Amino acid sequence: MLYRLSFATALVCASVCLSACDEKLSSLGGPTPNLEPTFASIQRDVFETTDSSGRTACVTCHTNTGRAPSGGLNLNHDTAYDQLVNAGSVERAGAKRVLPGDSASSYLYQKLIGASGIVGRRMPQNGPPYLSDGQILIIQRWIDIGAPRN
Amino acid sequence: MLLAGPSPARAQDDDAAALKLAEPDFTLIALPTSLRLPPLKGAFRVTHRFTRPLNDDFGDVAGDLFGLDTGATIGLEYRFGVIPNGQIGFHRTSNKTIELFSQYRVLPQNRALVDVSAYFSIEGTNNFKDSYSPTVGAIISRSFGDFVGVYVEPMWVNNTNQLPKALVDHNDTFMVGVGARVRVLPTVYLVAEAAPRPSGYKPGITQGSFAIEKRAGGHTFQLNFSNSFGTTMAQIARGGPLDKDWFLGFNISRKFF
Repeated sequence: MLYRLSFATALVCASVCLSACDEKLSSLGGPTPNLEPTFASIQRDVFETTDSSGRTACVTCHTNTGRAPSGGLNLNHDTAYDQLVNAGSVERAGAKRVLPGDSASSYLYQKLIGASGIVGRRMPQNGPPYLSDGQILIIQRWIDIGAPRN
Repeated sequence: MLLAGPSPARAQDDDAAALKLAEPDFTLIALPTSLRLPPLKGAFRVTHRFTRPLNDDFGDVAGDLFGLDTGATIGLEYRFGVIPNGQIGFHRTSNKTIELFSQYRVLPQNRALVDVSAYFSIEGTNNFKDSYSPTVGAIISRSFGDFVGVYVEPMWVNNTNQLPKALVDHNDTFMVGVGARVRVLPTVYLVAEAAPRPSGYKPGITQGSFAIEKRAGGHTFQLNFSNSFGTTMAQIARGGPLDKDWFLGFNISRKFF
């Protein structure tokens, strides 16, 4: 009886352990702890919000509200997705801003990491601070899973 | 000849304290064996994996005494028999990973073709404060007389990828440890093991090791060569460095019964 009880207890403990183990996405997000690899989250936490590290919101410059959007990219709420996904870059001919499933070839990603070959400066333009490695990893994941409109 | 005839090991199969000549220790090199621990008895093991690659200029390697002059990943382990056929233990490596493990023999070889043990462990990095990786698996073994023990160990290790699930395609690893120990002299053994990963997260190369060991009373002294430093399940599941280097190491174990 004692063995069976011990075995059942061990099974319950094991089940809890198995289901609970994961790394915290929030610890990667750093100054944007709620950032997830979804478009809605990236729009809210990166494009539209200046975070606690001092990294400025993208819509500070990439907006058509009261000005011409920098680089021809308007990241306002209703237009951002169509301006990014499968949209051609104005800065570099032939490049897609976001090529679904291929972050390395996506010009947005290249601009965020400051890759060699970009035109102009690494984004955000007034950085540092830039997006943290964790924040960039989350955006990279959104692109790599197909850049869904979620 | 090896397979024929009764042996002291089989005759004493129900006595967990009896020496099994084909299975003298609780591990092969890093993978567990199905050796049982008598209730309320213990066993200790220390592992060293020197970090100096051996496939380098021989003079330089010899000058570093094949790695002994350099740093090592060190593991300390203690296991304890809690119930008949059941044992628990902990293993801590010097990169601050602590693994808690348990093992229970479900089926003895004298009732089936093989000996089957259930295995469960959970390990955490940073002194068991971060990145927990549980493992569920089985240790399937067969001893051939007093000379050979062979092992197949399917293991599922969760959270092997140290990134959050939301950012990765695979967060777990299914691996099948395989290994064998051959008694070549009355107290000398050759040991080999590998842990191929059929599915899941599998960075680096498949961990593989071979060793020579000497049994001396309750002690086992093992000199091993590995292409990785892993001694816990998640470390083994993550494989070895892509450089395909080999490293010297040793295990020393002691049974307290």
